[in-house]
Amino acid sequence: MTSMLNRRQTLGLFGAASGAALLGHVPRAFAAGGLNIYSWPNYFSSESLAAYRKKTGVTPAISTYDSDDTLFAKLNSPAGAGFDIVVPSSSWIEQLAAKGLLEELDHGRLDFGSLDPDLLDRDYDRGNKYSIPKDWGLLGVIYDPEGVGTEIRTWEDFFKAGEKPGVSGKVRLSDSGWETIGPALWLDGKDWNAAGEADIRKAGERLKSFARNVKSFTALDANAAANGSIVLAQCNQGTARAAIGLNPKLKWVVPGPTSELWVDNYAIAKGAPNLDQAYDFLSYQLRPEVQVSETEYIGFPAAIKGLRGKLGTDVKNVDLIFGGEGVDFSKLTSFVVNPKTIGIYLQVQSEIQAAAG
Amino acid sequence: MAQANGNPARSADGGRTARPRRSVAVADHLIAAVPALWLAVFFLLPLAFTFVFSFGHSLFGGVELGFTLDNYRLALSGFYGATFLRTLRFAVTASALCLAVAFPAALFIARLSGRRKNVALLLILIPYFSSFLIRIMALTMLMARGGVVEWLLNGVGLHAGPLDLLDTQTAVFIGMVYAYLPIAIIPLVVVLDRIPRALVEASRDLGASRWRTFRHVTLPLTRPGIATAALLTAVPMLGELVIPRLLGGGRGLLMGQAISSQYLQSQNYPLGSAMAVLVLVAVGVLVAALARMTKGFVEVPR
Repeated sequence: MTSMLNRRQTLGLFGAASGAALLGHVPRAFAAGGLNIYSWPNYFSSESLAAYRKKTGVTPAISTYDSDDTLFAKLNSPAGAGFDIVVPSSSWIEQLAAKGLLEELDHGRLDFGSLDPDLLDRDYDRGNKYSIPKDWGLLGVIYDPEGVGTEIRTWEDFFKAGEKPGVSGKVRLSDSGWETIGPALWLDGKDWNAAGEADIRKAGERLKSFARNVKSFTALDANAAANGSIVLAQCNQGTARAAIGLNPKLKWVVPGPTSELWVDNYAIAKGAPNLDQAYDFLSYQLRPEVQVSETEYIGFPAAIKGLRGKLGTDVKNVDLIFGGEGVDFSKLTSFVVNPKTIGIYLQVQSEIQAAAG
Repeated sequence: MAQANGNPARSADGGRTARPRRSVAVADHLIAAVPALWLAVFFLLPLAFTFVFSFGHSLFGGVELGFTLDNYRLALSGFYGATFLRTLRFAVTASALCLAVAFPAALFIARLSGRRKNVALLLILIPYFSSFLIRIMALTMLMARGGVVEWLLNGVGLHAGPLDLLDTQTAVFIGMVYAYLPIAIIPLVVVLDRIPRALVEASRDLGASRWRTFRHVTLPLTRPGIATAALLTAVPMLGELVIPRLLGGGRGLLMGQAISSQYLQSQNYPLGSAMAVLVLVAVGVLVAALARMTKGFVEVPR
């Protein structure tokens, strides 16, 4: 999520000034009979929103957040009342549900059959009690094969390559604790959702000594990867696709032994004032033509079955939207925030970033 | 702060108005009540929460009230203690750099004639009309590879090849000085402007060199301006989190980021609150020190 966060954070930062104005609109949006969506910025295709307005006469009022923790903090406070639809990432569903902030979904009112089974019933929400996959992304690596000098297949290759002269100092890591420490845990044969404090700290030590090679922990700018100021970077497939569009020499890989799959999801906020409208909107969103429009708009794949074949032929580097060819979903893992360890992940991440300073 | 009191003339002849003193006082109090109430509700109340939370126990996304000093112990020890010190060092350095750049500019502006002075001040303030984030994002574009700075330095032969300025400490300090320069210049100009020309002339007449005049006449009289400028820059710098992130690549942690991540990502309000209180204490110490520095300036001699 966080490589995604980064992209969004940049957008969010840009929008922060106007965002204040957006926040000011929230109360007005809470009129009954409408639809109140709380989501990431720019996360719904304007085309499909306009079509929905035409069809139903309802204009969804969208307010935005720039991180899952902001969403959690808001829904967990009195200011979070009045939202109908929210868009949490896979990592936070369990915590939101545990706090009673999400409504249980009525599967009879939605067509789950049209969705990609690879994205359903995953360990962050068994049986999709609370969430419907909206779109997804991967944690991978983008690199300049010439600058790095070797091919990268595993996270071990990634760490080794980062220490080479000429690469060191031009490396970008994620700013999310689990995305930086996760790869070191996987190399130790550990599951990042089951790892205890000692495991996380041990994996963190590897990252702390690696930190001196790191140039940046902030949003990967596709231009920086394309022009060579960054030659090796963790990122999601969306940023990678943008960078490869600018510089076709760059390569994208989802390293072994495993990597992250994050899924952003539609969910209904507890006590949603416009429940019927929310279901109506969600059914609309799951229509094939809307899913295609969403994919082309946000650049990340929607969750419908057989989406690849439905995209227009004019879409560039279309395989990269799906993280390259032959991504094996059964090998990917999604992070689930656990109150017992999340603090440790973040503490160690802070230490890693400080070690790079 | 200092210059607010530095103009005793106006309050002394406040009797210029015909209304009796008493009703003026009532009106004054009413007017003052609005911002006071505002601050009480939106500043003091949250501050009180922060203070109370800082002694509590953390639940994920909640606080169990109680009394423990563990949060402070954690915030001051080891890693977070080091972060706190690094932040202090960072704010002091950046503020000093900012003042060093601001002083000559202020001196120049203060010596301009009336109309030109206003134009100069306006030029200093114009960037403030655009969003802070937009200005910092613009800086990243200037400093990126292939950006204007690289082209310029290559053009005048000060640098050869691509320039990797972005995501370095240097970039962060450039950004800090840039962003806070206007609020350092303004108080300095105000104070420099008030220094009677006659004092400077007298010093020169008595045989002091330009440098000696500056050191022994101008500089001491500028102390309230320096204190105000230092305060106005160092205090927000203690909480700065955007510039180190956008220009420094997020390397090296500062208190601002640490607090925000405790509140949001870790959902650990008590620890975040304890850190916030510590920063507040640091600000308090800073204010006290600067207030001491300007002692005796309550009435600026005219």
